[in-house]
Amino acid sequence: MTRDELHRALLLAHSEHNYDALVDLYQQAAAMDQHNDPKQSFFFLTHAYVFALDTNHEAADSIAEQLRAGGRL
Amino acid sequence: MSEHTINLVPVMQTVESARGLPNDHYTSDTVFDQEKQSVLFANWSGIGFGKDVPNPGDAKPITFLGMPLLILRDQEGSINVFQNTCRHRGMILVDEPKNIRRVIRCPYHSWCYDLNGDLKTTPHVGGPGQNTHEGICPDELSLYKIRSYVWHDVVFVNIDEQAEPFEVAHKNLIEHWKEFDKPAYHGGTDSSFTLTVKTNWKLAVENYCESYHLPWIHPGLNSYSRLEDHYHIEEPNQYSGQGTLVYQQLKDDSGQSFKDFDGLSSKWDSGAEYIAVYPNVLLGVHRDHMFSIVLEPKSNELTEEHIELYYAQKPEETPEQEPLRIKNSAQWKEVFAEDIFVVEGMQRGRHGKYFDGGKFSPAMDSPTHNFHLWVATQISSHTNDT
Repeated sequence: MTRDELHRALLLAHSEHNYDALVDLYQQAAAMDQHNDPKQSFFFLTHAYVFALDTNHEAADSIAEQLRAGGRL
Repeated sequence: MSEHTINLVPVMQTVESARGLPNDHYTSDTVFDQEKQSVLFANWSGIGFGKDVPNPGDAKPITFLGMPLLILRDQEGSINVFQNTCRHRGMILVDEPKNIRRVIRCPYHSWCYDLNGDLKTTPHVGGPGQNTHEGICPDELSLYKIRSYVWHDVVFVNIDEQAEPFEVAHKNLIEHWKEFDKPAYHGGTDSSFTLTVKTNWKLAVENYCESYHLPWIHPGLNSYSRLEDHYHIEEPNQYSGQGTLVYQQLKDDSGQSFKDFDGLSSKWDSGAEYIAVYPNVLLGVHRDHMFSIVLEPKSNELTEEHIELYYAQKPEETPEQEPLRIKNSAQWKEVFAEDIFVVEGMQRGRHGKYFDGGKFSPAMDSPTHNFHLWVATQISSHTNDT
């Protein structure tokens, strides 16, 4: 998925309140910026974490670990 | 009007010589606000029902006298009540009933609280992607927990935190009705109804307390439930109501009635009782069903009566009794509807400037007087404390 496609997918998921999809999409966005822009990556990972908590998504605890490892939680 | 200008001394006499609460206690916005603090927030008031949050994570926001509250059932099945306000910017957290899957997420900046009200995460609070800040201590920012207690499925709260524990404040009533301290199951959709009444909430309490009006307002009772078959229930400074000695079970066309609650004594074979749990909850118990009513004061002249009926068996286990449950609901709805013109009429009557609070019948009105005396005592003691 290109950055533009991801952006459009995020907007669609937000408009549909599809929080499960947002968890996955924000994780993808975080991965995309992981090396070239860590700050932006943690920004996206934070969003993934919040929506994972909101939906009790199975990825919530592993995302929390990633944020904690990065000193972000 | 100042709270000090109302003379409550005539109210705080014995029933033989007392007058009822003055008109301002029914018509004045100022006194309504005063009673909000000294009567409704200072005691254990009913705000809702456990049946509205049946599953873990179920959350129901309500506004009680302007106070935003959230009734929430936790993972262990206990009910808690929180102030429905985010600790960050004061945003309302939950706007409509929903199931909270893991956290309550504030819709503004997404601060998240778990089902115990503890602050779980504060996204970007230290800047983009940084979710902590040395100035933000989550342990100090839990949701504000309101004192609550569930009894007869009514969710009671003590907003000002000054009342005695519920079990202490209502020890005598809990003991009085200990036979009914057992599982009861809400009857379902048809066992739930709300009446909107143009009256001050206290008049609904007062009418409920006494049996004096029954032969005139509920003539359907006269054929089997005479006035002398009723008795007063009075506990000074706590509760009052009425009982009947001739309760008759409802039966369907085949003669079937509801199952009795287990283990009741013979008193309840034909007995039933109706008690006002001060300030704003009305309860009724019978051998085969109970009801709980929360009076929601919307303003000094508008009240919503939330009425819920409960049985000894789950409705899903007794579908054959659904018609009988519907019939029972309809019967009670008719009774409560018959009372509307009375409480609305008394409300309008209190705009008569020469009405002096009224003269009680010493023989028949003592449960009502008991309530007036309690309200006056609450206001007086609160005034003296402040």
